[in-house]
Amino acid sequence: MDKLLVSPSPHLHTKTSTKSLMRDVVIALLPAVVVSVLFYGWSELLVLGVSVASCILLEYLITKYLLKKSCTVCDWSAAVTGVLLALNLPSSTPWWVVFIGAVVAVGVAKMTFGGLGQNLFNPALVGRVFLLISFPTYMTDWAKPNGFIGNFDAFTGATPLGIAKEGGVAAIESMDYMDMLFCNIGGSAGELSALALLAGFVYLLVRRVIRPYITLSILATVAVFSGIFWAINPAEFTDPLFNLLTGGLLLGSIFMATDYVTSPMSNLGGIVFGIGIGVITMLIRYFGAYPEGVSFAILIMNSVVPLLNKWFHTKKYGRA
Amino acid sequence: MMKTFSIGGIHPSDSKISKDCKIEVLPVPSKVFISVAQHLGAPATPIVKAGDVVKAGQVIAEPAGFISAYVHSSVSGTVKSVGPRKDIAGNNMTHIEIDVEGDEWAEGIDLTDTLVTAIPEDNKEILEKIKMNGVVGLGGATFPAHVKLCPPPGKKADCLILNGAECEPYLTSDYRIMLERSKEIVVGAAIMKQVLGGCPAVIGIEENKPEAIKAMTAAVAELQKTAKGYEGISVMTLKKKYPQGGEKQLIDAVMKRQVKSMGLPIDVGAVVQNVATSLAVYEAVQKNMPLVTNVMTITGDCLPMENQHNYKFRIGMPLSYIAEVAGGIPESAAKVISGGPMMGKAIANLDATTVKGSSSLLYLTAEQTVRGVESACIRCGKCAEACPMGLEPFLLNKYARNNMMDELEENAVQDCIECGCCLYSCPANIPLLDIIRLAKGDVIKIIRGRGQR
Repeated sequence: MDKLLVSPSPHLHTKTSTKSLMRDVVIALLPAVVVSVLFYGWSELLVLGVSVASCILLEYLITKYLLKKSCTVCDWSAAVTGVLLALNLPSSTPWWVVFIGAVVAVGVAKMTFGGLGQNLFNPALVGRVFLLISFPTYMTDWAKPNGFIGNFDAFTGATPLGIAKEGGVAAIESMDYMDMLFCNIGGSAGELSALALLAGFVYLLVRRVIRPYITLSILATVAVFSGIFWAINPAEFTDPLFNLLTGGLLLGSIFMATDYVTSPMSNLGGIVFGIGIGVITMLIRYFGAYPEGVSFAILIMNSVVPLLNKWFHTKKYGRA
Repeated sequence: MMKTFSIGGIHPSDSKISKDCKIEVLPVPSKVFISVAQHLGAPATPIVKAGDVVKAGQVIAEPAGFISAYVHSSVSGTVKSVGPRKDIAGNNMTHIEIDVEGDEWAEGIDLTDTLVTAIPEDNKEILEKIKMNGVVGLGGATFPAHVKLCPPPGKKADCLILNGAECEPYLTSDYRIMLERSKEIVVGAAIMKQVLGGCPAVIGIEENKPEAIKAMTAAVAELQKTAKGYEGISVMTLKKKYPQGGEKQLIDAVMKRQVKSMGLPIDVGAVVQNVATSLAVYEAVQKNMPLVTNVMTITGDCLPMENQHNYKFRIGMPLSYIAEVAGGIPESAAKVISGGPMMGKAIANLDATTVKGSSSLLYLTAEQTVRGVESACIRCGKCAEACPMGLEPFLLNKYARNNMMDELEENAVQDCIECGCCLYSCPANIPLLDIIRLAKGDVIKIIRGRGQR
């Protein structure tokens, strides 16, 4: 050694980086990705490919030519947005609709605010909701799957929540919860298998990427809320287990609501955030015009995060 | 269930590579340079001049104020000069240069290994000996020990906590003394406990040092059986978590009490002393031996096993001399640290000399220690999760960069203990502690200024 390196303490650093955290989220999404590709086949692969590629390309172009900052594609966050957006769309979505979704997600929801860490709303959800409002036909076209596995005879061509909205509780009586747990239900690609999503949740917890509070708070709120209504009138309101397993609830509560940037910093804030999402989701499902409300619920609660951060702080040492 | 502190904390790799290296005595070099600033508080005033002949253990500098300490010569010989010399940070400080001649010790010092278990009855005499022998806290802050052992009027100690946590990675000097000098440490604890009015004493050791827990437990049991004044001393196993050895964290772990912001441990009835301090108290009181030696670890992943050491050193030895005796500085080392990797200081000047509180020469490679490029905060909250004081470093960082002093104070920047957990945990490589440390200094100045008005 020629020269002594001098810097303030600490002199060691964790191996966890922004890149490794984002990569872990992609890894956690892999089970859901694999299930969706197996079930929906080539069309799903196309949606995934277009979504991920355009998110990465757009982030690259915007950072390089518009913001003139150093490239941030290598931090994997654009890839996370791409996968999440794809999993939030029906497999039959045309490629150009997917591309528009990516433009809104990365271009509008993320980069206009200044890129990673600055955005108020979850980019993938902004993209999805934009498409849902702009192209309602494409976004609710639950095409017949032509994938590599799956029991297609049982396939109904509509989501369980949609069926419940149309036909009431009686219409879903024949549905099997085991199908929901594995994969044989209609919906967005990422809503196919509760089990695959839960596997991702366990991976994120084990790798300490996320803390469990937000997810558990949402799920508990949904269970309690629907439990109360179901207990009062089981003929009109769907039961808690149905509400936990269907729609985008698991995808949303595990992967979207826990997005670092758009969720509260403190655990207590996260619990309140989760209760808000759970209540709004159930209000939309039971009383709203849409069959599903997780996306809207998360986006609405995203806007409250700065307030939650102001109200709820960590417990400080030696201060009551 | 094993106890630990309740808020935050991190789990860096242990890396106690040198834990099985027995304590070796370093040979005395031909020259030592003894600093007059080896303690927290005012630097001591030299009372020798060039040409004076001194013996080892003789006072060469006197305290300059209430919070200050005596400094003794660690060798016998002739004072060559008294003047400025650079310390490890490269700052000038008065050093007393002594040419070593022989190894003659001042009178009244017991140099034998015999264990003295009978504790003097007069507390005043004990405190005087601790003060006159220049004992300071050896856990890092080097706060004069006798001051901590005299609670201010109206305050009473409920518990003496001996810090054997050694939660910093790599360091093994406390571990070695707990194995090799266990009984002496327990005698020191009994002395301090008596001075504090007979409160219980708890020796806190982390679970990753089972041999130390065994040795200390055995030493306590034996002394309780064979001598008087050792009741109420116990060993407590703590869960491994950094910064367990932080004073406030240790009090929380052992006593389930939390020190108020800007308060002192004694406010909640706690006195915390390091196990090495306890050993120094034993030496001072039972052997009349001034604090001129201590144990330091020479370690690092880039250092071959045969060059890993735990050395008993004398104060005033040049670090470069110690590095050479230990087998040289490894080629791949980029940074040399005095202290642990989390809170230690990077050495800017290897010609600097050992002080009472020296605890290590730790070699880190560039790959281990060079920080990554800072990127945007992703608001993951890992810093807040890690902070053992329950602060929100991401928030303090933002306020500090915008000079928002009121907000910094409201969010308790002054409570920061500079443990480094936030910066260690940040995945975006944001220099959180660097920025918070500066802001903390400013805010504390504002608070103090307000008090004076």
